[in-house]
Amino acid sequence: METYRYLNIFETKGLEYLLLMCFLVLFVLLIRYLEGNKHPRNDGV
Amino acid sequence: MSTLEAAKSGPPRRLGPELAAFGRFMLRELKPRGKLLTPFNLISLPIILAGVVILVIRFTYGLGSVTNLSQEFPWGLWIGFDVVSGVALAGGAYVITFVVYVMRLEKYHPIVRATILNGLLAYVFYAGALVFDLGRPWNIINPVIGNSFGYNSVLFLVAWHFMLYMAAEFVEFSPVVAEWLGLDRVRRWLVRLTLGAVIFGITLSTLHQSGLGALFLMAKAKIHPLWYTEFIPILFFVSSIPAGLSMIIIEGTISHRVFRDQIDPRRHGSFDQIIVGLAKGATIALFVYYFFKALIFVHEHHWWLLGDGWGALYLIEVVGLALVPCVLFAYGVRYRRVGVIRTAAVLTILGVVLNRLNISIIAFNWNSSTHYYPSWQEIVVTLMVVFAEIWVFRWVVSRMPVLRDRPVAARVEVRKRWKRTGT
Repeated sequence: METYRYLNIFETKGLEYLLLMCFLVLFVLLIRYLEGNKHPRNDGV
Repeated sequence: MSTLEAAKSGPPRRLGPELAAFGRFMLRELKPRGKLLTPFNLISLPIILAGVVILVIRFTYGLGSVTNLSQEFPWGLWIGFDVVSGVALAGGAYVITFVVYVMRLEKYHPIVRATILNGLLAYVFYAGALVFDLGRPWNIINPVIGNSFGYNSVLFLVAWHFMLYMAAEFVEFSPVVAEWLGLDRVRRWLVRLTLGAVIFGITLSTLHQSGLGALFLMAKAKIHPLWYTEFIPILFFVSSIPAGLSMIIIEGTISHRVFRDQIDPRRHGSFDQIIVGLAKGATIALFVYYFFKALIFVHEHHWWLLGDGWGALYLIEVVGLALVPCVLFAYGVRYRRVGVIRTAAVLTILGVVLNRLNISIIAFNWNSSTHYYPSWQEIVVTLMVVFAEIWVFRWVVSRMPVLRDRPVAARVEVRKRWKRTGT
């Protein structure tokens, strides 16, 4: 009977899930980075 | 009042004088304008003439007389660069028309005509170059007339989509031609067709950009595993977005320098803002494209393939010409650095062209004992196609209202409508 090791990140496709989560987090950060210069800070208010 | 309208203004409207006026008008427009002995003309004209001679030999004596194509390598530079790469670089037209006509982002309206023209000419010349590569070019009509339809072939889909998309782009561009000819009534009708043509064109584009990738699905055993994936169609479609946007940035930059006198001076400043907006779109599309590539790479367990020259080529394409330009685009957008954005656009174009060449030529039959290298004649004909497109683009832009404002007749008509409707 074939054994299945849940700790193996390749067999469980864990790496793909991690990469996808990285994508989602980085995508939000990228959008925030791109929009960052749109509204300059107004320290006087 | 235009020449044609002047010809129409007389009370007895007869076909003869109208045709004569149209003939005189066309002859006047066909005459070259500006300096003939420019560096571009001196380089491009001999190449175009040499390309024409090579094509005469090709159609007289066959493909083998001027190309290095064989039974093992039936697709070469003409397909890999002209058709597969050229269509990806023409992707800017469907992106910009979607942004302007569907999303109603009027900021990008000043570049929409030049982009549609560029897309239309790219399809006419690059997809038209398919004829050079067909062993029996007269059979190109078969998918249209129903002789051995081949409707279960991807090429059938691609052929119909190319044809319909060229028609849709011509309808999108036709109001410009009507303005040039001074046919205001016709222009009003054509403008009404624009939105329908745009939606039709976008639908076709998404399908045939991916359809070109689907052509390679049946060559699994021939393409290097680093480039073969069942997701090639999606990758082709996604990568056509940054490729098209980068092409608009580079083409627009050159056009703004070459045709500076045609552009309203007030628009010169706003063009940099447009470039920043386009770069933002290219950043997001490249980011998505890069992660698609990374996910496929991890999913296929391709780590062991990175050790040799193919791995190095793959890394150059994916990291050097996809991730790096993505970072440069983001930096350029954040700090409004147009120079950085232009550099990123050039890298993106190189990356997409390298990707298409890798899949269709370089990594195709990668384990074969023989290799394909394009002949000098193939390179000359490829350059001829590019230069011929630039010549036609220049002719159209310097005569039709592509970059400049609408002609007086159209402005008067719009003003009349304003007065009538009060809007």
